[in-house]
Amino acid sequence: MSRLEAKKSSLCKSEPLTSERVRATLCVLKGIVTSCYGPSGRLKQLHNGLGGYVCTTSQSSALLGNLSVTHPILKILTTSIQNHVSCFSDCGLFTAILCCNLIENIQRIGLTPTTVIKLNKQILSLCTNYLKSQACGCRISVDFSSTQILLCLVRSILTSKPACMLTRKEVDHISALILKAFLLTIPENSEDHIILGKSIIVPLKGQRVIDSTVLPGILIEISEVQLMKILPIKKSSALRVALFHVSLSGDLSDTGEGTVVVSYGVSLEHAILDQLLNLGRQLVSDHVDLVLCQKVIHPSLKQFLSRHHVIAIDRVGVTLMEPLTKVTGTHPIGSLGSISPSSYGSVKNLCSAKFGSKHFFHLIPHETTICSLLLCNRSDTAWDELKLTCQTALHVLQLTIKEPWVLLGGGCTETHLAAYIRHKTHNEPESILKDNGCTQMELQLIAEAFCSALESLAGSLEHDGGEILTDMKYGHFWSIQADSLSVVNWPDLLSQCGCGLYSSQEELSWSFLRSTHHPFAPQTCLPHEAVGSASSLTVDCLTAKLSGLQVAVETANLILDLSYVIEDKN
Amino acid sequence: MAAAGSVKAALQVAEVLETIVSCCVGPDGRQVLYTKPTGEVLLSRDGGRLLEALHLQHPIARMIVACVSSHLKKTGDGAKTFIIFLYHLLRGLHAVTDKEKDSLISENIQTHGRHWKNCCQWKFISQALLTFQTQILDYIMDQYLSRHFLSIFSLSAKERTLCRSSLELLLEAYFCGRVGRNNRKFISQLMCDYFFKCMSCKSGVEVFELVDDCFAELNVGVTGLPVSDSRVIAGLVLQRDFSVYCPADGDIRIVIVTETIQPLFSASGSEFILNSEAQFQTSQFWIMERTKAIMKHLLSQNVKLLLSTVKQPDLVTYYAELSGISVVECLSSEVVSLIQRIIGLSSFVLPQSSSQCEISNTALVKFCKPLILRSKRYVHLGLISPCPFIPHCIVLCGPVQGLVEQHENALHGAFKMLRQLFKDLNLNYLAQANDQNDTSGPLIYKNTREGNQLPEIGNGSIQRLYQDTVVKNKDELEKTQTYLKAYSNLIVSNVELEACILTPELTPTDTFQRNETPMCLSPEKNRVIDYYEPIIESNSTTNSTTENTRIEISYGSLQVTKIAGKGSMLPVRDKSVDMCTSQSYCSSSMPAGCVLPVGGNFEILLHYYLLNYAKKCQQSEQTIVSIIANALLGIPKILYKSKKGNSFPQIYLRALHALQSNQPVVSGQTGLESVTVKYQLLTSVLQCLAKILTIDLVINIKRQPVKVYDQDSEDELYNTENFC
Repeated sequence: MSRLEAKKSSLCKSEPLTSERVRATLCVLKGIVTSCYGPSGRLKQLHNGLGGYVCTTSQSSALLGNLSVTHPILKILTTSIQNHVSCFSDCGLFTAILCCNLIENIQRIGLTPTTVIKLNKQILSLCTNYLKSQACGCRISVDFSSTQILLCLVRSILTSKPACMLTRKEVDHISALILKAFLLTIPENSEDHIILGKSIIVPLKGQRVIDSTVLPGILIEISEVQLMKILPIKKSSALRVALFHVSLSGDLSDTGEGTVVVSYGVSLEHAILDQLLNLGRQLVSDHVDLVLCQKVIHPSLKQFLSRHHVIAIDRVGVTLMEPLTKVTGTHPIGSLGSISPSSYGSVKNLCSAKFGSKHFFHLIPHETTICSLLLCNRSDTAWDELKLTCQTALHVLQLTIKEPWVLLGGGCTETHLAAYIRHKTHNEPESILKDNGCTQMELQLIAEAFCSALESLAGSLEHDGGEILTDMKYGHFWSIQADSLSVVNWPDLLSQCGCGLYSSQEELSWSFLRSTHHPFAPQTCLPHEAVGSASSLTVDCLTAKLSGLQVAVETANLILDLSYVIEDKN
Repeated sequence: MAAAGSVKAALQVAEVLETIVSCCVGPDGRQVLYTKPTGEVLLSRDGGRLLEALHLQHPIARMIVACVSSHLKKTGDGAKTFIIFLYHLLRGLHAVTDKEKDSLISENIQTHGRHWKNCCQWKFISQALLTFQTQILDYIMDQYLSRHFLSIFSLSAKERTLCRSSLELLLEAYFCGRVGRNNRKFISQLMCDYFFKCMSCKSGVEVFELVDDCFAELNVGVTGLPVSDSRVIAGLVLQRDFSVYCPADGDIRIVIVTETIQPLFSASGSEFILNSEAQFQTSQFWIMERTKAIMKHLLSQNVKLLLSTVKQPDLVTYYAELSGISVVECLSSEVVSLIQRIIGLSSFVLPQSSSQCEISNTALVKFCKPLILRSKRYVHLGLISPCPFIPHCIVLCGPVQGLVEQHENALHGAFKMLRQLFKDLNLNYLAQANDQNDTSGPLIYKNTREGNQLPEIGNGSIQRLYQDTVVKNKDELEKTQTYLKAYSNLIVSNVELEACILTPELTPTDTFQRNETPMCLSPEKNRVIDYYEPIIESNSTTNSTTENTRIEISYGSLQVTKIAGKGSMLPVRDKSVDMCTSQSYCSSSMPAGCVLPVGGNFEILLHYYLLNYAKKCQQSEQTIVSIIANALLGIPKILYKSKKGNSFPQIYLRALHALQSNQPVVSGQTGLESVTVKYQLLTSVLQCLAKILTIDLVINIKRQPVKVYDQDSEDELYNTENFC
């Protein structure tokens, strides 16, 4: 019985950002994301009171995916960040913190939203233009002839995810594996149009991280019993493969909308089994060595095939179908009738392998762009975190191929950018204002809010009570332990800046990040030799960070522009 | 109080709505965030959406929202202005009646009685509003306002062409009210690009119609990317992935199928009898062969792409892949109909026999390839379009779904607006002129009412009624005649007129003479004559007979229409009316593409002319017209609320000064807006207000809505209460 119920009226609130509750919740969210940021970020343990396993993480995707926020403004904020992460995998926390900082700082100023949004947009375009320009002082072009920068990039990603629980040695091992897996997906004979392959991550939990490895081709997990049944094939030439995506279980397929009347004594199952065995005969006569099926193979057919020394593997699953098609070069077969010989493919070799307690079939291809990354970690939750991290790293590498630049990490890009904006707005306010009807005073206020949002973002890398400094030449990020400031010659205690590009050997002058200081022009145009000398840099993906910056400012603008929130209470 | 209940309540409601809506209006408007019951968070500045999202319970509020949404359905714009204008109208009415109450109804009438009396007054006002809307407004629009109109078309020899710069101005102003501040310029540029890419040289309104109807299929939303990544791409993007993709170039043909290609054992409603296993196997074999044959046949026709509305069985996709035919399955019927509309392709019917008949239903496409947007795969189809629409798609990016949807809705609304703009608008004024030969609004209106009442009233009462009418008419005569003077350019054949008029004079006493016109030759002569209104001739010598005649004719024609409604025609009379009106027909409609600069220009102009008009009006009408004129200013007042340099009084005075000295009115803002949309908005608001005013009681029924066929006889009204 349907129940008619009148719709309840919605709740309408004006000027949502001025409400104390919204401010408080925004503050809590900011606290959560800020404390997770960076290599020394604190971990969050998420558990659902109603069951499910506990997740320990410091990554934005896992964190925001599990958090349930109720206020519409927070929903907008978190979905915006989640959407960014699903596009670029990286820089989720960066975006979240920057957005929260911007909202908080700008709200404090109390200018009209029109002015704020106009100026924010101007400053954003100033930033993006600078980061894309040749003169940018915090951008390094990637040299694909050496693995140095790429390795640095992967390592930076791994170290910024402390919940993976990796030691320094393990980080080196995994980053090498990730880079190797990535390089395996690049086709060898590249034409003008490169289509990257795929790295399949195979889970192997409970093993040492050092046991992780990369193999070309595909690993298909099978049970030990199955492995025993299959006789080892000794064959020098390549193996012929048939890949089915139609079910070989002997079910009656779709018979249409009408009725099918079966006379007594006629067994359709028998008829279909006959058909399946005929198919088996054809496969044998076509010298097929390996039959793979996405769905189920009828036991009789399996038995028939194994009698004729054909290996049959069923229940491969839909996710493996595309890589399998690529590896073997087959057309997935959708018919139980005659099979055209052009549908068959081949693999170079097939062997069984045992990793940990699991047994695998390893399809070794002739030459393809598919590889399997066997990933080990000690516990479930650490493995999940590591898997997410590996996916992020692989994605970031793909993005870097498209835009071959990286940004300096470790907070240096943020402080450098802040210094640049301050300098620009101080010295050439006319060029920024153009004729948008805003005053210089307003520009100074907004620019200060923007810069301090960037700087406190960089500052949130420090979680252990240290002090943040910036040098007055490059505008880089330096951190020092709080108690060492009492030492007379504390600059000697500074060894390296956040990204590792500069050391304190040079004659530099420092100032506290949070203190007010005179705007200076940070050195632009990064010299190429400076990069070569540094062995280990912290770098970030340019594409992801640039988009993160844009999304953060756009989302902040959006939230600052809200005049009403209407909540549907139905 | 029951007395002014209706207006007071409506005013309160409108005031609340106005405060919400007014902060989203105009270039400085802000966003509103709203949640759906599903938890979705959406953003909007669209008044219609906001009002719907509020789920209002107040009956009057719900009525207003219903009026707004029916207006939006028509024009796609103006919901916020609707509310603001309505609020100001109500406020004006309320203020006026308050004053009247103090002065007039100070004596002790019983409250109940006063309520009904007030209701009559409201009804009167509401009818006056309708009259204004149908007659005076159109007249003002046509006579005065039209001289300020600009056209969005640059008029070359005989074709109207749309130049980019004026379209940009129009769109930018439109998006000012629709999307967030930081994306306004970008979105309007995007729309402009899209528009000019889609239009071929000879396309016109039909393109807007197509885009408006199928906009959901012509855009793809991508979340997670900055808005600035949005772009226009050539061809059509189908929101599906290929089931089978075989790269092909050169001559690519497509077919559309709406059923599975593989024959099934039994169609619905039929029975398939299996007698043996061999029969089963042969039929399966036949099915397979048949599928193969169809595929081979398609391939022989150079078909490289199969678009299917249903899921095809594995067998079909397998053979398609073997034949090198790409397959896209599960397309929505909207997409298919769009494709059919663009390329004029009907769906492919499977040949019944296995004979290799020619497939006629194929079409050529330029390309067909996968398109990857944010790791999701789509089918990208380069259709070759014979129709004036050149298919393009908009990829809309945004950090959140809510923003993408907002932009999508804004773009869709913009197309709706353009669709309206490209249509000619027939003003009521001309249509009315057809019937009545003049626009002496209220006067005629009253006669209409009388005409309605007459058949029911016996002959005896007619006399008395007419007496009343005469008095009323007399009052309004003065006005009418000044009015008519303005129209003396209208030439009516004198011969006809002479024949029409036999009414010589009418003294200001209560007597009247019946009009005995020669045309009333029909069998219903008596009745017709009875219906005739008395004609008053003024003493003023300045009025020529022509003018009087025209009054007469208009009366006459009115009668004719009324009677015609009852089934008795007077052909002679009809003819004469036609002749009279044929001359005024030329200046009848607002041409397509009329625009005015934004920033309250339309409102200020109309305000000015209405006030001028009101000066010539009779007392009661003057009030109404000036209430409307003043309410119009509510909109520019809000627009200029927070402007630094231009405050509203400055703008207003400047405009008035310019108008008085016959100089062009300069607007402080760039951007154009459609006059048609504004005009339609005005009429919708007036109709809505008229509707509100005619309600005297709101009865609240606290019970589940009963279905119509419910036979429950002992219905009782629980808790009936006045809503005041």
